[in-house]
Parts: sequence; C-alpha cells; structure tokens
Amino acid sequence: MASMTLSFCSSLAAHCRICPKQCSSPTLSFSNNTNLSFLSVSSPKLSFSSSSPTYRLLPKSSESGAAVLDSVADPPEPEAVEIVETSAEEVSKREEVFAVVMVGSRQYIVFPGRFIYTQRLKGADVNDKIILNKVLLVGTRTSTYIGKPVVTDAAVHAVVEEQGKDSKVIVFKYKKKKNYRRKIGHRQPNTRIRITGITGYQDYPAVTLDS
Amino acid sequence: MTRIKRGYIARRRRTKIRLFASSFRGAHSRLTRTITQQKIRALFSAYRDRGRQKRDFRRLWITRINAVIRGKGIYYNYNRLIHNLYKRQLLLNRKILAQIAILNRNCLYMISNEILK
Repeated sequence: MASMTLSFCSSLAAHCRICPKQCSSPTLSFSNNTNLSFLSVSSPKLSFSSSSPTYRLLPKSSESGAAVLDSVADPPEPEAVEIVETSAEEVSKREEVFAVVMVGSRQYIVFPGRFIYTQRLKGADVNDKIILNKVLLVGTRTSTYIGKPVVTDAAVHAVVEEQGKDSKVIVFKYKKKKNYRRKIGHRQPNTRIRITGITGYQDYPAVTLDS
Repeated sequence: MTRIKRGYIARRRRTKIRLFASSFRGAHSRLTRTITQQKIRALFSAYRDRGRQKRDFRRLWITRINAVIRGKGIYYNYNRLIHNLYKRQLLLNRKILAQIAILNRNCLYMISNEILK
C-alpha cells in the first residue's frame, strides 16, 4: 500500500489535493503533492440536508497527540526499540485502509493521517471533530466494501485544522476590439481537514478478488 | 491649468505589468508594448482554460478508465461499466475511478465484478 501511495504521489492525474501528514512519523516520508487544484463549479454554500457531512462537537482527544509524542521523543535506550515498533505497528495498521468520501459534492480518496482541502464548512471551528457520513467505498489491503450508494454505518473521523482561502485567481474578462475588460480577484474559502480514522465498515458485505 | 510633468507614473504602472510577464520568452518579457499585450492574452487564456481544465480532466479520466476496463475481457468497455454503475446505483465519479485504476487496480476489478453480477 505504501508503494501504491508513492506511485499515486508521482502521478499527474491524481487530481484531488491529498497532502501527506507533516508531523514526524519515523517510517513515512512522502514527498509533497503538487497537484492542480480542481476548481469546483458548485457554489460554496453548504446545504444542511441529510446527505451533507454531519458533524458533532466532541472534546479534543489527545490520542493522536500521544502517538506523535511517542515517536518524536526517541531516547537512546532499549525502550526506544519498543516505542518505535509499536508506533510502526500502529502506523502500518492505519495505512491499510482507504475510503472514498463525498464532501461538499466532491469526492475524495482519504487515508488516515493525511489532510484534504474541502469547501468551507460553515460553523466548524479549528480543532473540531467531524464525522463524515457519506462514505462511498472503503478499501483494505485484501477486500473492498462497495457502497450502494453509501456504505452503511461507515464513518470517517476528521479534525478541522484550518479555515483558510485558496490562492488567488485573477478572473480577467476581455473582448477584443470592443474596449471591454474586467479584472476581478477571487479567493475561494476552503477548510483543511485531517483524517484521523475510518470506522464502521466491518459489518458491511465485503468484496474480494476471488469471488 | 498648472503644468504637470508625467514623471514616473507610467513607469510604475508598467513595472507591475513587467513583473507579471517576467518569465515570458524573448521579446514578450522585454518590450513594454508587447508585455502589456501578452499579459492580457495570458490572463484571458487562464480564464478560458480554467473552464477547459474541467473538461480536459474528465476526458483524461474517461480514457484511463476505458483503458483499464478494456483489459478485462472482450465486450467489456467504458460505456458498459458506466451503464452498470448507474444501474447498481453507485455514486463513484470518474475521477475516483481513474485514481483507483492507478492506485489499486484490483479494487477496480472488484468493483466491476460486483456491478456485473
């Protein structure tokens, strides 16, 4: 899965902006993805229907923080080997799953530990826990859970990292020989979301390659 | 009217435009009048091509999905895959399918088997 994700990093057609986790994880070293941003034509207004990502406010857990501290504080002692091994196990256990989730009427392939940029989620502050319900596909190393159209009870847990804006595009309208030119700058608001985990897909009927 | 010398007003305006076109090739980054024209063309092309980008990428994804699916077997191609996708009410779009085709080809084969059944 690591090799496949590396090849995904280098492929130009990988069009969703999935960037690797910036924190120091000793076994992972993904290069940064410089992909083109896919400008969505849909309006940034979030409609609060049942299909939109619902989120609940939960107290911020320090579980991911503790894992990072374990891997960073690496004292030169025999204990260090155990810490590195457990974090490597956690990391390799985490790395096996991916999900396809629909946020803001766009679909993203999502890996735990990475972040994605979505349309601005109104009402979500920084460090809010978010649960994305519209999971269309969950894949593990050996099997996939294909949603028709949604994998029931599957949830992708994420944390809102930042509410920012895309880089500026200059909208320049011009008609030649008619003295018409208009120049407008535009920054689309976005939200950066870091994926913490994918749960709830185990009960769904899985599909494997042999069947 | 008081006498006004033009001074550096025009130069200031043109340096901004020159900065925009500083990476263009040949005379398009050196000659002032050409620079103003090329900046207009560049911005307008960007505007037009942002719309084109959406079309181009969809074509690319369709081509890639087609290529991978045609390897599956005879009489199986992109249009049948999409028809089956819609019949089975899957919501995956072409971007995701193309990425799965590259990342994890077995996954795409699993999907196509599932919707054929």
